Amino acid sequence: MTTTERAVGSDVRRIDGPDKVRGRVPYAYEHELGAQSVFVAIVQSPVARGRVTSIDASAAEAVPGVLAVLTHENAPRLGDVAEEILVLQSPVVQYAGEPVAVVVAETSEVARDAVGRVRVDYESADPDVVLSVDRDDLYPPEQLMAGFETDSVIGDVDAALAEAPVTVDVVYETPNQHNNPIEMHATVARWDGDVLRMWDANQGPHNLVPVITEAFGITEDQLHITSPYVGGAFGSKAYTHVHQLLAGMAAKVTGRTVKLELTRQQMFSLVGHRTPTIQRLRLGARPDGTLTAISHEVVEHTSQNAEFAEQTATATRLMYSAPARRTTHRLAKLDVPAPTIMRAPGEAPGMYALESAMDELAAELGMDPVELRLRNEPDRDPERDVPWSTRNLVACLTQGAERFGWAGRDHRPGVREDGRWLVGTGVAAATYPTRRRPSQARIEAVAGKPYVVSIDASDIGTGAWTTLTQIAADALGVPMDQVRLRIGDSRLPQASGAGGSTGITSWGPAIMAAAQELHDRFGGQVPADGVTVTGSSGPGDEAEQLSSHAFGAHFAEVRVDRDTGEVRVPRMTGVFAVGRVINTVTARSQLLGGMTMGLSMALHEESVLDERRGHYANHDLAEYHIAANADVGEVDIAWVDEVDDAHNPLGAKGIGEIGIVGSAAAIGNAYWHATGRRVRDLPITPDKWFR
Amino acid sequence: MPSPSLTVNGRTVPLDGVPAHTTALDWLRESGLVGAKEGCAEGECGACSVLVARPGTTTPTRWTALNACLVPVLALDGQEVVTAEGLGTPDDLHPVQHEMAVRGGSQCGYCTPGFVCSMAAEFYRPDRAPGEPTPEHGANGFDLHALSGNLCRCTGYRPIRDAAYALAAPDADDALAGRQTRPAPAATPTDVPGFARPADLPAALALLAEHPDAVVVAGSTDHGVEVNLRGLRARQVVAIDRLPELHGVSVTDEVVEIGAAVTLSEVAARLDGAVPLLDLLLPQFASVLIRNGATLGGNLGTGSPIGDAAPVLLALDASLVLVSAAGEREVALADYFTGYRRSVRTAGELIRAVRIPQPQPGLVGFTKIAKRRFDDISSVAVAVGVDVVDGEVTRATIGLGGVAATPIRARATEEALVGARWPDVAAAADVLAGEGTPLDDHRASAAYRRAMLRQSLLKIAAAEVPA
Ligand SMILES: Cc1cc2nc3c(=O)[nH]c(=O)nc-3n(C[C@H](O)[C@H](O)[C@H](O)COP(=O)(O)OP(=O)(O)OC[C@H]3O[C@@H](n4cnc5c(N)ncnc54)[C@H](O)[C@@H]3O)c2cc1C
Ligand code: FES
Ligand code: FES
Repeated sequence: MTTTERAVGSDVRRIDGPDKVRGRVPYAYEHELGAQSVFVAIVQSPVARGRVTSIDASAAEAVPGVLAVLTHENAPRLGDVAEEILVLQSPVVQYAGEPVAVVVAETSEVARDAVGRVRVDYESADPDVVLSVDRDDLYPPEQLMAGFETDSVIGDVDAALAEAPVTVDVVYETPNQHNNPIEMHATVARWDGDVLRMWDANQGPHNLVPVITEAFGITEDQLHITSPYVGGAFGSKAYTHVHQLLAGMAAKVTGRTVKLELTRQQMFSLVGHRTPTIQRLRLGARPDGTLTAISHEVVEHTSQNAEFAEQTATATRLMYSAPARRTTHRLAKLDVPAPTIMRAPGEAPGMYALESAMDELAAELGMDPVELRLRNEPDRDPERDVPWSTRNLVACLTQGAERFGWAGRDHRPGVREDGRWLVGTGVAAATYPTRRRPSQARIEAVAGKPYVVSIDASDIGTGAWTTLTQIAADALGVPMDQVRLRIGDSRLPQASGAGGSTGITSWGPAIMAAAQELHDRFGGQVPADGVTVTGSSGPGDEAEQLSSHAFGAHFAEVRVDRDTGEVRVPRMTGVFAVGRVINTVTARSQLLGGMTMGLSMALHEESVLDERRGHYANHDLAEYHIAANADVGEVDIAWVDEVDDAHNPLGAKGIGEIGIVGSAAAIGNAYWHATGRRVRDLPITPDKWFR
Repeated sequence: MPSPSLTVNGRTVPLDGVPAHTTALDWLRESGLVGAKEGCAEGECGACSVLVARPGTTTPTRWTALNACLVPVLALDGQEVVTAEGLGTPDDLHPVQHEMAVRGGSQCGYCTPGFVCSMAAEFYRPDRAPGEPTPEHGANGFDLHALSGNLCRCTGYRPIRDAAYALAAPDADDALAGRQTRPAPAATPTDVPGFARPADLPAALALLAEHPDAVVVAGSTDHGVEVNLRGLRARQVVAIDRLPELHGVSVTDEVVEIGAAVTLSEVAARLDGAVPLLDLLLPQFASVLIRNGATLGGNLGTGSPIGDAAPVLLALDASLVLVSAAGEREVALADYFTGYRRSVRTAGELIRAVRIPQPQPGLVGFTKIAKRRFDDISSVAVAVGVDVVDGEVTRATIGLGGVAATPIRARATEEALVGARWPDVAAAADVLAGEGTPLDDHRASAAYRRAMLRQSLLKIAAAEVPA
């Protein structure tokens, strides 16, 4: 179509911006304001491993305004999912913070008061929450998240390592981390007859449908979830968690509209976290920097009730050439809440370790770390042995080096001072898979009226409201104001959730297919009595025949206060190869937000498990720090010219996650360059300077 | 007494029957004004930031951003509040909203109304004037610290900074700017079941004598956290933040006196440099949002071992004026704390003012070690005051926070310093590292705290500030 270039690729402003700055868009909890709602408060187990031996709810039930107290003894029985999501179906307790009772009351104040009056006795055993490589119960999961193989082995890695003239053998660790979107998880639920109506904060209503229908034994038609605006998610809102089921139960039992908003503290146990990892990296190389062996062995945790196997080392399978290569993943099943996906699951912790180890190898070789990466650039996917659809890591590294002013860097560590500040720079590469998932879209056309484009896509802050409108406008050959987009509703055509950076590549082509259908059937002329067309899109042959990934390069300057160990990052540069950029404003936002979360991961984020009690000790924003305004220095972002037509008709790649991948490594590497010391366990807090 | 009410975005709404523990945020949201958001309920994220018309120091009224999640709504009886919904109209966004929208300052949007309010408060700062840009000031005079109490998980903050630095001066006919030129609402006495704002100090003391279990609330930045997170439900709350007797600030040759209920933001403005050590502390105390509410009385009232005011005031050899129905007494701050969150203050007694004797030490320094640069509480705080005559230390006072169950004076170090050649303090720094009994916790190890004690003195000696 000739008009394709008009909106796509421009700097169109967010169409939801004006309403958001006025506080006028409704988030989940803000629906049904007029309803006579009732409120839920949760009794959480202080015990991480054990069972409820008795519950006395009489005092709570006696509080005026309390409508029901649900426990494992009286809660509605749910379908199979209840094994994976522990939701008042059994007296067994499998993690600290597990809900053991809920109070439903006329006001949130009454619910909260009554919660304190529910008496629960437990039988408990010492929790087992400490991850280590020496555990004798580590096991290989059947497969990893997103269907990746648990292990990959090519060649004789141990022999290659033994023969390599230069090697590094290092262990990197990343801590438990929590997603912490600023909007807390919230659900409003009501049963309209046998239809469960929900307004919920999630990453795509259709994502929740299988679990919720299974739990309540209803059909898809009997579930209607609305979620047009979501206040951030970063993975924790991708799947169904216990609170949505509790809200559905409470609504069923009371016959009322139920409002349930988790507290920030509850989010630390009820909506998932990123597993800690212990990663052993062994690299073998020739003196000229050519890699001969790569070994990346990962140990991470999962929970008793649901297995979650983060794909930490999968990026290592494709980053660099080497004849001998191995990646492995082993899990410890601990008495912890179920981990979940968090922005760039797998790549964020895994590339932190790989890219730190590459820096150590460069130092060992006395080589420019940019050069080391360039020297090991593979021309095909080294493990799958298929061609790249596009791979522009080299361009990212060279352009990034240019923008950052890398040339002439003195590679020696610990030799630059500026007053009391030790100064250094670091580099790391980034990658994230490009995928598409099945999605459908519908376009309703009525002559003289704007097109109505419907798809159950989700905007969790990514800009989908805007970018999908742009894509639709171009596909239909009309200005953006001739498109009315509808997203975030399970009654709209099914689409994949907002996750895995697959939104644009999945939803965009579905909308384009519907527009194409309109064009093919009516030649762009809307019939007088209107028409509705649909289109769909999904993974094609490219998934098998090509290896498709976004790439990027991070550069960072770090300053470390010699006297206090304080770490500052005055500037960062990120250059990315992310296919066609749909909207330069929202793209920059996504990359900047990702890089900042990487900075946050490098310097701050860590959820501390209390080893005796098994709960997260620092479970609020006062103690779990995320990067604040003053932490972020100058950030320079650019992208290379790239259109990945071989992967999808938009030529786009996902953009939501790659920003976080590798940025912590660039900062860690710069820390070493500044100080001459490696901190191999995130976060790099000031006290680590003194150990 | 008329029944309580609050003016929100120009509309006056009654507050009948609202319980004392209901925060302004919960009340707004339950009233359908859901623009202000909750992200933490403990003053950390600023999603709940709203504008309140407060008496100003340079203009009769100053739009002041506050954490609505911490303030009891009844404490706003008779006041004027503006939320993000009250700024701008659909066709005509407020300048702050416009810049935020066009520069990508809002992604998921959940933090946005709070940022908008914090930014609007700085937009309206009467003495904001264009100047040479610095990393933390725009060419338009915008002080980025105004946003230090707002967290965003999406944007990476730069687009928000871009928006802030793009703001011009308010238009001549800007209604909220105009509002700053007229007097702020007075503090209305309030008396409803469970919540009272007495008109003056005698009335407050009488109330406290009558209700020994009453909970005193000033800026509510601690109290609000107790209510939200620990479920505190006081039988009687007594608001003292506007008591005129607790609002004096005076500087004489003998003493500097600061009213216990003056907010920290006002302390900085009204002292105007008279206490250099406080000027070192205040920018590092929480965030602007918190400082707009927090008071010295509240900081000392909790008896917290990690409160930041105590080390500074100890180093200034300050004393507290305590007042009750029985009368006033003055207690040296060094004698005030008796144990973990305990003090000599009796029930029914208020801190009326803080007194700092003159002359203050000739050289002062303050170091706060925290995990995050701003918006974080201290792992360790060290405040130092010394007099140096002919290169020799003649007097030293050092206050420490975070190293014992109470804030303490570092007496051994003070002794080691007197007679030492300044700034050669290595020996005294070693003594300092041994003061107190720092603990291991997830904020910092004991060893790190000790190392920081030593470093603080070295750092302060290297970068002393003449008082
Ligand atoms: C996000 C956040 C960050 C913070 N950061 C810091 C920080 O960096 N450094 C720091 O030191 N503190 C910090 N605090 C704690 C708090 O802000 C301070 O302690 C503040 O000074 C309390 O003042 P307030 O007026 O708000 O006290 P309130 O909450 O009103 O009262 C606190 C206590 O003091 C009592 N009280 C108040 N006034 C008096 C009086 N005149 N006489 C007797 N008792 C009185 C009250 O009864 C109450 O028990 C932080 C708090 C939050 C929420
Ligand atoms: S809700 Fe987070 S500061 Fe008020
Ligand atoms: S825009 Fe999402 S938290 Fe700021």
